[in-house]
Amino acid sequence: MTKYLSPEWGAEVEKRLREGLTPEKMNNLTSSMNNHYTNCPGGVSEKYFYVGFSDGKVERVEVGEGTGPKAEFTIKGDYDTFAKISRAELGSQKALMSGKLKLRGNMVKALKLASLCDRINKIVATIPTEFE
Amino acid sequence: MDMKKDPYFIDFPARIKAIQAEMAKEGIDVYLGSRLRTMSWTTDAFFPWRSFIVIPAEGLPTAFTFVIDAARAADDSWLDEDHVLGFAPMGGQDQISQITYMIEDLIPSGGVVGVEAGMSNYLPEGNLTWYEYNAFTEALPNCKLVNAHHIIDKLSVIKDEGTINRFREASRIVDIGHKAVYDAIKDGGWKGVTETEIAGIAALAMRKAGSVWEWSFTGGNEIACGYRTGLTGGACTPATAKELKAGEPLMVDIHALFKLACGDHSHNYLIAPASDRQVWHAKNFTDIVDLTLKTYRAGISPSALAEEMMAFAEERGFADFMVPGFEHGIGMLGDEWRIGGHEGPFVYWTDPNHVYQEGEVLICAMQYACPDEDIGFRYENPILIKKDGCEWMSKYPLTVDIIE
Repeated sequence: MTKYLSPEWGAEVEKRLREGLTPEKMNNLTSSMNNHYTNCPGGVSEKYFYVGFSDGKVERVEVGEGTGPKAEFTIKGDYDTFAKISRAELGSQKALMSGKLKLRGNMVKALKLASLCDRINKIVATIPTEFE
Repeated sequence: MDMKKDPYFIDFPARIKAIQAEMAKEGIDVYLGSRLRTMSWTTDAFFPWRSFIVIPAEGLPTAFTFVIDAARAADDSWLDEDHVLGFAPMGGQDQISQITYMIEDLIPSGGVVGVEAGMSNYLPEGNLTWYEYNAFTEALPNCKLVNAHHIIDKLSVIKDEGTINRFREASRIVDIGHKAVYDAIKDGGWKGVTETEIAGIAALAMRKAGSVWEWSFTGGNEIACGYRTGLTGGACTPATAKELKAGEPLMVDIHALFKLACGDHSHNYLIAPASDRQVWHAKNFTDIVDLTLKTYRAGISPSALAEEMMAFAEERGFADFMVPGFEHGIGMLGDEWRIGGHEGPFVYWTDPNHVYQEGEVLICAMQYACPDEDIGFRYENPILIKKDGCEWMSKYPLTVDIIE
């Protein structure tokens, strides 16, 4: 069991994404996504989880404190909201439609990438995770 | 092919730079356009949904529209998909949030944002709404919103060659529509035909000839027969299921759209038998249209022209039947109403004292209406103002045809 958004959790995400996602599965995508967590527990108000792809290959996975690096898509929301999505208690679509999550980036491109995002989320969800 | 040799070429990047130059003169950091005419004039694409364009002080503009249509709009536009963005009811993706993000990125410390606010008697104008104004004001506390639509209004008055050629082609297409209507109704073909069928016959012919649709927010092609041609002030007649009848007039006002330029021409008929009185009305009408077309030139104004034409009608004894207006504005799609700027005695209406300049395009639009006799005629034709006259773009013969 790894702690959500810890360096160990980030390393595990990177390992599993590299194993589970081929460039073909990722449509040879070059893009990046940054989840920006607000109202985090444990005394740090903001955290991030960044993943970047280049030609379909996982290029970079990062977790840390603060707002995170600039990405093509940024999704901002409360830690609790992301945690609920990770625990499958809340759908990401519903969170976006209700405004609990805010997406920043080209919406038309985001629509094209929705299924790829699901593939990433499914792999991340396989990691035994401890939430605060 | 060298795009600049295309007769319909418009230098859109140059238009954006011209707007940016005016913004700089007025101290405007970002221009937030929302009117349909602005979308057309800056993007070369049709934006049927609520849309906006953000024009920075330098560089390319970005258009925003409903996400279901953004990819299509980008495909039609000269802008790429990174400069035509779609908004949707999602966190951070609604129109206020998206545009706010962009303006914050462009002017992080705040500044002056030019918006388009005002009034129009034209429903699809697209001025910023009260709600939108307040939402942007709240979302951009370091920005001052100022009205700036006059920048684009002034820049778009004189038409460039590509735009003029688009109007010429749209007018050529309209003439084909008129020919199709004539062929369909002549020799008794009119019997049992309705106004809506006439609209459809013209539409099919025009689409075959290159029109994309029958632009006019008044319902496509405007057809009237019988008493509907003579309704007082009746210069707007969406087609109905009314059937053509012997002894009645028929007014065919059809619209083509070619590369966002509107063909708009009205032709008139009398379904036989035509009485002497009907023929007298028809002759009055064609004579005043002929005189009007010969009178338009640079240097005159709508009010001066109206005075001259109404004096002619008075002299000939038909002034009671003339609607004393002889034109409406025209530009790329969405610019379909007033002439000149918005500083006339009645703001946002045609300025009666606007002085026509070479290179302006307007619709010569005249209505002859005699409701007591159930007869009326309409003339519309895009005209290009020249130094000593005008070019009427639809070449369809100026007659009132009697159809047997």
